[in-house]
Amino acid sequence: MKELDTLLHSQLRLAVMSILMNVDEADFVYLKEKTEATAGNLSVQLDKLSTAGYVSLEKVVVGKRTRTVCQVTARGRKAFEEYVEALKEYLNI
Amino acid sequence: MEDKKINERESIAIITSMIARTKERYNLGDGNIMLMWGYLTISISALVWVLLALTHNPAVNWLWFLVWIIGGIASPVMAKRKNIKKGAKTYTDKIISRLWSIVGFSAIACTFACLGLLLISGVDAWSAMLVFALIIVPFAEIANGIVLNESSCMWGGSIGLLAGIFLTCCVAGKVALSATWVMPLFIISFICMMIIPGHAINHKARKNS
Repeated sequence: MKELDTLLHSQLRLAVMSILMNVDEADFVYLKEKTEATAGNLSVQLDKLSTAGYVSLEKVVVGKRTRTVCQVTARGRKAFEEYVEALKEYLNI
Repeated sequence: MEDKKINERESIAIITSMIARTKERYNLGDGNIMLMWGYLTISISALVWVLLALTHNPAVNWLWFLVWIIGGIASPVMAKRKNIKKGAKTYTDKIISRLWSIVGFSAIACTFACLGLLLISGVDAWSAMLVFALIIVPFAEIANGIVLNESSCMWGGSIGLLAGIFLTCCVAGKVALSATWVMPLFIISFICMMIIPGHAINHKARKNS
């Protein structure tokens, strides 16, 4: 049986990856709203995903504010698909 | 939501829940760009029509450029604001954005081709722009409707396309294009293609919110 990716097997990181797999790109505020996470926690988890190369983070200046735009990378996409395949094996579906 | 360990069933629940949360069909103001193009085109058309009737001076046709200048500036600004407000860009948004970019670039190419013909060889090919507006734009509108599963776009686009086919036949058959019937046809087509679908989309977005 395949090992579940420990980086993805966490509530918030999995939620973020699920959202990013379903959109082309999303900003920090959108992710915070959809996951109902705190800004600090979300920021930490995004950094972990970014360090692993699963998401790319781009800071864009809009007026006087900085907007962080997140996008899933090819590596992240592959990891997520493998994670879902492993889940299916665990759950026999 | 926190950074806590989960079991396999919880994983599936999180994935399905997050997918459901990103499946919003319409957002408030999604029809605004369509409305801007619709009202802008109709206003300029009406202005050209009135000035042509009053002055009989074909130079007023240069006012058509205002559609591309105003729309070409306002459209990307509105699209950018919409994406920032929405916070995410879906694959549907991406397809629609690329589709209308192609229409925009085709319009620029068609304009320069007509302008070039006029300046180099003195040939008046501006009727091609009318055909462009009622063939390429309706096609994009129908494709937009198919992607969004929005029937008002499909119907509006089809009406515009029929008008475009009729105009193409007139141009090919060398039927004189008179402002008295071309302008109303053009305005009605844009009401069907842009105004009605734009309001329909905004109405559905308001109902969803």
